[in-house]
Amino acid sequence: MNTPWDINTFWQFCFAFLAILGFSMRSNLRGWRVLLTGLGGGICRASYLILLHYTDSVLLSVFLAIILVCIYSEVVARLVKTPVSVFVICVIIPLVPGRTMYHAMRAYIGSETALASSLIFETLMIAGTISIAIAVVASGTNLVMRLKHRF
Amino acid sequence: MPEISLKRCSRLALKAGSIILESGGATNRVELVMYKVCVGFGFDEVESFVTPTGIFLSIGDGDNELSTSIRRVEQRRIDLGKITELTRVVNCLYEDNCAACPPHMSRYEYFHQELQRIDTQKPYPTFVTNLCGAMTSGFFCLLFGGTALEFALAMVVGFLVSASLKYISLLPVNNFLLNAIAASIIVILSKSMQMGFESINLDTIIIGGIMILVPGLSITNAIRDTMSGDLVAGTARGVEALIITVGIVAGSGAMLKLWEILIG
Repeated sequence: MNTPWDINTFWQFCFAFLAILGFSMRSNLRGWRVLLTGLGGGICRASYLILLHYTDSVLLSVFLAIILVCIYSEVVARLVKTPVSVFVICVIIPLVPGRTMYHAMRAYIGSETALASSLIFETLMIAGTISIAIAVVASGTNLVMRLKHRF
Repeated sequence: MPEISLKRCSRLALKAGSIILESGGATNRVELVMYKVCVGFGFDEVESFVTPTGIFLSIGDGDNELSTSIRRVEQRRIDLGKITELTRVVNCLYEDNCAACPPHMSRYEYFHQELQRIDTQKPYPTFVTNLCGAMTSGFFCLLFGGTALEFALAMVVGFLVSASLKYISLLPVNNFLLNAIAASIIVILSKSMQMGFESINLDTIIIGGIMILVPGLSITNAIRDTMSGDLVAGTARGVEALIITVGIVAGSGAMLKLWEILIG
């Protein structure tokens, strides 16, 4: 019985952590906050892999993983007094469908139209799912904040 | 009685807003910052309308004075450090607990000086930025299943692309062309590396390079702007994300095909 809690997931976590660390420093984020965005990126990738193992559906795992890291960003950003979008921008990067997009382009210039269109469709679906997940968390937070001010 | 004139406050708020907008902040963040600056200096009557390319701001002092200004924002580059820093300063102005404010300066002077400092703040040295680009590209290559050799090559590609992005953005090119050129540079570099190392898998290296360019900022801001009700800004950023993506795909695809035809 193979489980997703193995060394491979751990390595993916580390790679995503370091990649997002680089990405956020490249966007000129300063200080120890880069460690937190990196951690978010690692959680994003690792939770996606773990969810993918249990649900066996790419879109559902992307959706849940993005929701998880968006909640992470909303909480951590408020704790360290940083704009939330700074965190969200960095942590979603590991799931942005750059690879599917590239393969779609390869299929397109290789005249494999059927493969290309299915890959383009997949890219759009993943990008759309990421957007919906960000939207869900953003509106949920708005609601929570309003209620908090009301009472 | 407010401590500074309406015009001065308007200038300060516009300056603060345009720094955030230029650094890639979300629209409602810009509006919030300008609101906090004005209220912090005692002007409660604030209306603002922000699009990704410009700011409209109108401040009144309650009876007869009303100042409306427009600021056009030309350059936009990602600088999350400036957003963070400026938000911190504005919040401490709004909550009126400037612990860092020296006693001999007025709040206006202090805030003005902080704005100047943040605006002219130097980013990390170019070498560090390029190294971070190399790191991003290399580890994304590993993330998508690259080997150790491909990791090293992807780091070189990332370094060179980050360095060349700096010089391309000095030219008067738009976002589409900028990303198309950068993507084609990625393809040229990895194709020429494949001539040296026959065994490498080209895909992981190119994907690693492309991940530096993906428009995560535009996607995030587009969604968050739309959800907070700024439909104009949301749509504009969504189109920006689409244009950047098409630029990356067009650049890398065209260069791959050209290389195939010319060199084989």
